[in-house]
Amino acid sequence: MKTYNILPLLRMEHLKGGYFVLWIEDADMASQCRPGMFFELKANLPGLFKPISVYSVSDSRIAFMIKNVGSGTNALSELREGDLLQVIGPLGTSFPIFEHQSTVLVSGGVGYPPLAFLKTRLPHSCQVSFLHGGACADDVFPADECYTVDGSAGIKAFVTEGVLSLITRQRIDIVYSCGPLAMLQALNRICKDNCIKHFASLEAYMACGVGVCHGCAVPVGKHGQYQRVCVEGPVFDADILNWELM
Amino acid sequence: MNRLSTTLGRLSFESPITVASGTFGTEYFDFYDQSVLGAYVSKTITFEAKAGNPPPRLYETEAGLINSIGLQNPGIEVFVREHLPALIDKLSIPLIVSFSGSSVTEFVRMLEMLESWDGIAGYEVNVSCPNVEKEGIAFGTDPDMVFDLTSKLNAVTKRELIIKLSPNVSDIATIAQAAEAGGASSLALINTLFGMAIDWQTGKARIKRGIGGYSGTGIKPVALALTYKAAQAVKIPILAMGGIYTWQDALEFFYAGASMIALGTANFVNPLAPVDVLNGLGYYLEQKDMRLSDIIGSVSF
Repeated sequence: MKTYNILPLLRMEHLKGGYFVLWIEDADMASQCRPGMFFELKANLPGLFKPISVYSVSDSRIAFMIKNVGSGTNALSELREGDLLQVIGPLGTSFPIFEHQSTVLVSGGVGYPPLAFLKTRLPHSCQVSFLHGGACADDVFPADECYTVDGSAGIKAFVTEGVLSLITRQRIDIVYSCGPLAMLQALNRICKDNCIKHFASLEAYMACGVGVCHGCAVPVGKHGQYQRVCVEGPVFDADILNWELM
Repeated sequence: MNRLSTTLGRLSFESPITVASGTFGTEYFDFYDQSVLGAYVSKTITFEAKAGNPPPRLYETEAGLINSIGLQNPGIEVFVREHLPALIDKLSIPLIVSFSGSSVTEFVRMLEMLESWDGIAGYEVNVSCPNVEKEGIAFGTDPDMVFDLTSKLNAVTKRELIIKLSPNVSDIATIAQAAEAGGASSLALINTLFGMAIDWQTGKARIKRGIGGYSGTGIKPVALALTYKAAQAVKIPILAMGGIYTWQDALEFFYAGASMIALGTANFVNPLAPVDVLNGLGYYLEQKDMRLSDIIGSVSF
């Protein structure tokens, strides 16, 4: 069950390019975290919480990798160890996990953390490739293959081109993804064309994070229906989403 | 002695705090006990199901939130069959059901359907949603329509009948008086103001439908002025809302003439907002050795 806590920041690590990793400690919350789930986090600001995916869990510690993109994430980036952080979670759905699958993880930019977490929880029976892409070297994190748009690190290409190339070399059963909408849409077409099962973790503006406000709706199906990213997602079976209306 | 008890028309409450329709669900009772609230106001239902508006539906501004949900709801039939029994079962505080129709006949039919259910203490008649075309606000801006609708609904129910007013009108006093004359037992105000935000770098509207409903800190002075204006214009009690985040905010609305207040956007910013406001008000009144009723409408100049 989700809980609301005010917790001290256990540890903060600043990375390149405005990315940072913060750690909190809570045994109950940590024990419920599965890859794909998120928390609502907030520093001491008058505004809304920010939905942030779980990056890693070890014992009772939970880590979040965040990119400083606005006032809410900036306030989080300025926290120091011991500062208090408002936390609601864990929230949302997780990536479904299957045995014996040829699995590809595809992330773009700040879509990296939930897939990095998923990689640590996939069964040994799965053969796993992790492809990550970003705009430039600042957006690159450890993965099996890295891509940048400007060529400043890894291979100069879109990460989706890496997926296309991988398809020519091996069979892929399942793709898990998280990243910018354009990347997810391109990836979805590739998966459809090649009959690959695809689960995508989506990002959305949220007000409540707990299913109340219906602000984070995404289009599903063909009849103008919506589902909430905070409750029915953030991880969706890509087949149910209406990608044209996204 | 409960210094905080209050009344709203036909109902008495142990707590003067409730929640704004659409900003709250029983999900929040994971965080605190429901007795913190005087009543529970459910999300507005309409006759037919509504899928809601296309996203993006939300944008956080410098001083509040713009939303364009579009009254997403399962429709009254599914609501009474699947949601209402569970809600009644879960609640130990009075339930106020919020609803909206696209014609007077539809409003009346909905009220008749709800009347057959025990466990509903009152109704909030939403004639003020800015995010749908036919329902709500089309009624709430015309005093004759408000009078006609209120009197037809009043003939159907003996329960608390709250008319929820829009701030997007030229004279709220006239609308408030029309609702009172039609037999409303109380008023709720304000619903959201029209609001808009544009990404200056791309020229793209932040909300898919362009204009949404603006709530939160930024609308508090407007809500307070309209609460005062309505309270001066009518004798029926007022359930006030609009940018109330703290117990100090709440006190301002009681001074302006509110008998009860609702928290809306505050719930998103502070999931314990109702608890904090209740505790703050209780402590303040104890220190001053006053009752809430001593404060209501006692603004001085």
